[in-house]
Amino acid sequence: MGEDKYTGPIAGLFQKMADMIGKDVYYVNFLVLMFFTLFEIAAVFFETVPGTDIEITRDAVWGILIVVGIIKGYGIAAFFMHLKGDPFIYTRTALFPVLFAALMLWGIGLSNPDGIDALPSWCTPNYDYSYVTE
Amino acid sequence: MSGSLHDVKNEIWMKTVLISVGLIFAGITAYAVLAEGVGSVKHHEWEEAHHDVEEAKAELDAISVTNASSEDKDAAYDKWEAAVDADVDAHLSYLTWSTAGKTIMVMFIVYAAFYGIAGFYNSIQPEEEHHHGDDHEEHHGSASPILMAGGLLLFMMGFPGFVTTCKAWLGLDYTADMSGFMLSAIGSVILIIGIGNWWNEDLKGHKEQIATSHPFKGQDIRKAGMWIFLISETMVFASFFSSYLRMRTEWCTQWAVNAGKCDVVDTYTASDYLRPGGATGTGDFWTLLPGGINTFALIISSYTIVLALKAAKNVNWEPSKNKLMARLFPTRKQTVRNYLLITLALGSLFIVLKLIEWSHLIAEGFTIDSQAGSIFYVATGAHGLHVFIGLLVMLFMVFKADTVGYDEENGQGIEYFGLYWHFVDLAWVAIFPAFYLY
Repeated sequence: MGEDKYTGPIAGLFQKMADMIGKDVYYVNFLVLMFFTLFEIAAVFFETVPGTDIEITRDAVWGILIVVGIIKGYGIAAFFMHLKGDPFIYTRTALFPVLFAALMLWGIGLSNPDGIDALPSWCTPNYDYSYVTE
Repeated sequence: MSGSLHDVKNEIWMKTVLISVGLIFAGITAYAVLAEGVGSVKHHEWEEAHHDVEEAKAELDAISVTNASSEDKDAAYDKWEAAVDADVDAHLSYLTWSTAGKTIMVMFIVYAAFYGIAGFYNSIQPEEEHHHGDDHEEHHGSASPILMAGGLLLFMMGFPGFVTTCKAWLGLDYTADMSGFMLSAIGSVILIIGIGNWWNEDLKGHKEQIATSHPFKGQDIRKAGMWIFLISETMVFASFFSSYLRMRTEWCTQWAVNAGKCDVVDTYTASDYLRPGGATGTGDFWTLLPGGINTFALIISSYTIVLALKAAKNVNWEPSKNKLMARLFPTRKQTVRNYLLITLALGSLFIVLKLIEWSHLIAEGFTIDSQAGSIFYVATGAHGLHVFIGLLVMLFMVFKADTVGYDEENGQGIEYFGLYWHFVDLAWVAIFPAFYLY
């Protein structure tokens, strides 16, 4: 662990940062996780961007929380859990339940109060909304 | 754990018994200092603050029926409001110290039970069982899972009685159910003996079993097993999330009002109490702080366990040139142990802060009775339980690191446990923003 150089668009970036500061990828990943955690807490804590009048809207906070979650999830799974570098069967194993999680989210979307008329058509394919207008 | 075999004498286990005595002493000391010492001072301050509220209320009631000027009435109202705020602050401050003391004591008693019972059980085993020669290279079937399952069965059967009895002992309006309590206690002891037996087998080491068929052919069976286990764990947490999100789409929260989705707030979520700008108006920097610290604690603990693994696997390990680091981590063996100890401490901190936060939320009226409270406590409680189970495993790893030690041949134990610990961190990455920030 740690001896092999990471490659690829994102993992390679982590590796470059690690090489730049003379540390390993775990250290860089740790710093990235700490930074983005601070970032997501700050996004909720401040109502405007510090030093400006630019309002941090609810949608912006939503977006930040999701994007930061994905970045942190990637960092933990790829480097700390060694999915990058381990045989691909482990990544496939890790992704397996994501299929069910996605189905659950789809189910939530279809069954929520706005599910009838507010979901985009790609979420409810071949559905003509007829009973809404009847 | 794997690869290397160790000749472990029974007397080594007596060390855990001694540590358990130290843990009980430390737990009781923490309780005495935090809950009884500082806690009683804080309780006294709370009583005084409560008395001030009553006085201010009486003053307000008296002045409201007189012909006093509106300025005087406003002043009396402001005084009463300030007294109520001070009363709430004093109550929460008392809860902080009291909950911290009680949590540390209970946690340390559980740690001591694991160390004490498992250590004592292993120390009285016939010594010759530890010497099977080369036969032990192959991993034989173990009775530990059967023992653990049986113990868990009894524990769960008696658990309602256990809870009722504990509530009765805490002075609440419940009648003690001693039969259930005893069943649960016996189950706990059998469970710990099963785990202790497993510790014993693991401490001696065995050859790693390799998968021989698709799709994990050539991989360590334990690693593949851990990933399969994590799949099931992902589904458990995904079900909590889907429940939460489904319910949340029905609620008219402050967030939904601000987004223009509804008009009147009908549900307060945990984040309404915790984050600044939340609907209840109670959230500020200090209410978000425990959750924030916990997030950092888990990330740091994820890193320390990686450092423990790195040290264990590094055959060319050398002490740091930094004097402080060299003192903290003087040898490879102690480095692994100390990183695991730091991980244990950070995980314990997580549990303490979590329960302090819960005590504050409950005091402010966010209880498990509501839909929002139910899913919050179930999801964060399940996560906390996972952290705590991880800490119990880490107790053994610290002991192993301190005795036979971890090296490049048996370091996989840390790696596979690390997978679980990182998963717990990963789950928190989703839980924290969903329940605390959103």
